[in-house]
Amino acid sequence: MSQPIFGNQLSSFVKRNGSLVVLIFLFLLFSLTIANFTDSRNLTAIMFQSVVTGFLALGQFLVIVTGGIDLSQGAMVAMTSIVVSVSMMRYGAWAAIVCGLLAATLLGFCTGLLVAKTTMPPFIVTLGMMGIARGIAMMLANAKPVPITNDTFKLLGSERIGWVPVSAILLVISALIIHYILRFRRIGRYIYAVGSSESSARLSGVNVARIKLLVYMLSSFFCAIGGMIWTARLVSGSPVGGYNYETESIAAVVVGGASLSGGEGNVLGTMAGVLIFQCINSMLNLTGINPFWQGAFKGLLIIITVAISGLRGRGKLLGSRKGAKSV
Amino acid sequence: MKRSLPLRLSKNGPGASMMQASVILIVLIILAYILSSGVFIQPTNLLNILRQNTMLLIVVLAEFLVILTGGIDLSLGAVVAFSSVIVVLFQGYGLGLALVMALAGGLLIGLLNGMLITYLRLPAFVITLAMQQIVYSVAKVMTNGAKIEHSLNGAMLNMRLTQLYKQDLFGVSVPIWFCVGMVLLVSVYMHTKYGYYIYAIGGNDKAARMSGLPVKTVRIMAYVLSGLFSALAGFLFVSRVGTGDPDTGTLLSMDAIAACTIGGTSLAGGKGNVSGTVIGLLVLCVLNNVMSLVHVSPNIQPLVKGLVILIAVYMNNMKSKGDN
Amino acid sequence: MDDLVLKLEGICKSFAAVQVLKEVSLSLYAGQVHCLIGENGAGKSTLIKVVSGAYHPDAGIITYLGKTIGEIQPRWARENGINTIYQEIDLVPHLTAAENILLGEEPLTRFGNIDKKRAYGRCKELFAKLGVEIPLEVPVSQLRLAQQQMVAIAKALHMNSRVIIFDEPTSVFTSKDVEILFRIIRDLKKSNIAILYISHHMDEIFEIGDQITVLRDGALIRTDKTENFTKESLVHAMVGRNIDFVHDGAENEQGEIVLEVKNLCANKMVKDVSFQLHKNEILGFGGLVGAGRTETMRALMGVDPYESGEVLVRGQKARIKNPRHALGLGIGMLPESRKTEGIVGARPVGDNITYSYVENTTKLGIVRWKDVKAKAAGTVNQMAVRPNDTRKLVTFLSGGNQQKVVLGKLLAANCDILILDEPTRGVDVGARSEIYDTIKQLRAQGKAIIMISSDMTELLTQSDRILVMSEGQIVSEMKGAEATEEKVLSSALRVEA
Repeated sequence: MSQPIFGNQLSSFVKRNGSLVVLIFLFLLFSLTIANFTDSRNLTAIMFQSVVTGFLALGQFLVIVTGGIDLSQGAMVAMTSIVVSVSMMRYGAWAAIVCGLLAATLLGFCTGLLVAKTTMPPFIVTLGMMGIARGIAMMLANAKPVPITNDTFKLLGSERIGWVPVSAILLVISALIIHYILRFRRIGRYIYAVGSSESSARLSGVNVARIKLLVYMLSSFFCAIGGMIWTARLVSGSPVGGYNYETESIAAVVVGGASLSGGEGNVLGTMAGVLIFQCINSMLNLTGINPFWQGAFKGLLIIITVAISGLRGRGKLLGSRKGAKSV
Repeated sequence: MKRSLPLRLSKNGPGASMMQASVILIVLIILAYILSSGVFIQPTNLLNILRQNTMLLIVVLAEFLVILTGGIDLSLGAVVAFSSVIVVLFQGYGLGLALVMALAGGLLIGLLNGMLITYLRLPAFVITLAMQQIVYSVAKVMTNGAKIEHSLNGAMLNMRLTQLYKQDLFGVSVPIWFCVGMVLLVSVYMHTKYGYYIYAIGGNDKAARMSGLPVKTVRIMAYVLSGLFSALAGFLFVSRVGTGDPDTGTLLSMDAIAACTIGGTSLAGGKGNVSGTVIGLLVLCVLNNVMSLVHVSPNIQPLVKGLVILIAVYMNNMKSKGDN
Repeated sequence: MDDLVLKLEGICKSFAAVQVLKEVSLSLYAGQVHCLIGENGAGKSTLIKVVSGAYHPDAGIITYLGKTIGEIQPRWARENGINTIYQEIDLVPHLTAAENILLGEEPLTRFGNIDKKRAYGRCKELFAKLGVEIPLEVPVSQLRLAQQQMVAIAKALHMNSRVIIFDEPTSVFTSKDVEILFRIIRDLKKSNIAILYISHHMDEIFEIGDQITVLRDGALIRTDKTENFTKESLVHAMVGRNIDFVHDGAENEQGEIVLEVKNLCANKMVKDVSFQLHKNEILGFGGLVGAGRTETMRALMGVDPYESGEVLVRGQKARIKNPRHALGLGIGMLPESRKTEGIVGARPVGDNITYSYVENTTKLGIVRWKDVKAKAAGTVNQMAVRPNDTRKLVTFLSGGNQQKVVLGKLLAANCDILILDEPTRGVDVGARSEIYDTIKQLRAQGKAIIMISSDMTELLTQSDRILVMSEGQIVSEMKGAEATEEKVLSSALRVEA
């Protein structure tokens, strides 16, 4: 195979990791123009704020790559937070964590089952599941927040190593694991294949139903982790929190370069997407611009991202031979 | 309950999914009657249901139009909030002006949505999601995040507006007039050539194009109408609640989509009708009403709602699988 | 090499009321290329779908490697050595060539990771065998069509295929690609793979085929060694019927020119096409699949854009930008694929018929629904749609009646120039003659009709004049009454008759 010249390599790298480039650009821009942006305090704050969305985005990314969507993430966060805080009172921190993970993954299993085995669109299934998870949260907590008293658990939210939060390290490890799986394991290829062309994947022996089940379970699993970190930060379980968290994760995934129709994107881009939004938030805070402008920035960023990839030419799929018909 | 529906049912797809929804509704009504010891059926209760859900009805109709053309609109709630803010800000200069400004805002947002989605061919989900963020943001900036009651010129919220909701016009409550009016309006729209075209465009847009239908125009119009309707809902919101709230309506789009799908509207487009959608909405409303009449803890409500959505759509799905 | 690999005996297959394969038998031997040829609609595509497991035959026996096999599933066929390279290549678009080839059975390292080295090694091996070089790291959607095909072939090789079927592989190939493909096929022969090759390119068949089978109307006409055929005898086998063609209808008085096309060029499929269309005329367009007929008409109808050329409608220059524009000029089209472009299946008959008509009755945006309803009912009667019910959903109608609905739509819209693309494909005999009658009535009323047809009988009996296209150009013109199947086919195949 001939060696591509440096220029080509660079441009294809940019195409594949556009969000990373944007992140670097924004980071440089802000560090140069905004005082205190690169302060360890600020960087730590950015990381703290990115973690929960980061976990959600990781799960959402997996689901979106298969061509689906998960609208239940916010409710899962709330539900996990209640399950964890309620069981912590009775069984202690570690048991509570296990309960939380189990509860969310179980619901994720149900979601995945419905998506894989019926023709119901993931939009509706996860919409319904959103209500169910939220209901469970409200019922268990009787609509009241549940305080966390366990000190070890609290650390999950606040503990740092230097200026890096422990939860951020957890996120990085999780992201690396997922990246590793997607890149180096068979199942990673299958996940992309299902989103790219379900029929061709099936023809090659890929168990499409199993893959779909897996990604929804993973999404809920990561929601649980994110939920626990969130709970630890709030120092209480809240049944009414988490509203619209899935909007954040979807935005991050889209800006990170994944396509809603599936088959495209990577973990690095998604994480970059999360950080891009957080950097912008940070910028708004530090420069004293009305923080309410956050949403507008976010929305514009999403539109620009999608417009650019849309205009660059939606990947024409496979050679459609116009005019060649089979007889 | 509602006055009889004046539609050419034959024009609107197989009524089967509507049957599903009607069945659920009837079951719910019976349950409601039993569980509430008859309270449910009392006219005051029924009218209350309508009054409380006028806004939702208008928004559901808006979403219905967009989904029919094969799209989706997640920015509805944001437009309602934004419109409520505009109404309060401008009502000091006259209620009429306030309404006009709100509608103009809704129209503009809808137009933007429509053009980005249709001309640039960008995915509706993402674009309206982004638009939602932007519109909420602008609304919050305008009020500094708070609920407002004062106009730009300092005038306090006009009493006439807040009285509007409680008044009766010719013996019928004003919100009920709005309900009826909007349903009629949309039904009439579906009877114009654009309504006719919508089904073709949602059903098979290639064939629609080949038949000379103005596909792009109709699609954009759906989004514009959606913006207008949502703006109107925002106006009513102010009337009912008495403030402009830049935070309201965050779950509105989802509820609207749920009502549409329960009523048999397919997310893919081209399938569904006004009656079915109204019934879908009623299912949700009756559900809520029953639960509060029976003093079911509000905690359990989201769960029941979620289950109902899943069951209803599952049944619709099974039915259409059977068709194939 | 005479090992019998795959044997089909007495295969029958019907779709609804139409029998597409009538007791077809075929034998594939290891190391031999067996070519399958026939006109459009002869049943070639159906036959290979039966072999690959996409369709199940209604009757007949399939013997593979000595064993009789029952109902084949496509995945089973693939995994057991029967591989089809379809025109619509079934690869996963976002995955690379290497990932596609090894999808489902990627080699693993000791730690369970995908062993990229071994994977690439295997792919390079396969490509070396094929004598091609394909970038392994690029998503296949970015490869050229010919390259995608190579990947599909490599995949077939990897799966130790004993049978490889090529379905019209060279439709959009350059001559260089064809050379490469043939070299590969010759190598495949040396590996004792049995090859079934469907094509209508005469030269290719004579160059690469060891055996030729001719299908006509779903039946096996002749199967023989290539050396026993000549181009003429092949055409004769494809064509020879005992039915005398009686040209329907008396000599027709051609009216004035209503449409003139000059030097039309569109997206590589239409290369400098010029012709005229008259009132009171049915102009048939013959030619093989891929000749560019549909593309030409789509450009005329504004469905697809065209690069250059002039179109004059009733003497006035027109730059038709979209179907709405075309309909405004009185041009209407019955598309080739009624399911994807002709009907809105989920809507009733009445709606479908009046979609193009509604505009005409609208005054100030208000539609006169009474008129629309009347028009729908009237047209349904006129076209003899069965069942005679404007409220019936079109998807529940038979193919013939669906076609009548689409035709009715053009009538209701008062089109003067009608473009019919395969008007009776998949239509039963009864509806067929009704459609023909309608077309002739339209002609008598002074309308101008273009009819693309791959059905030779239809083309010859219904057309006043026939234009034959091949590879994007018009290659011959003949009067309907003087045309014969052999003349048309020879032009289409670019064979000197």
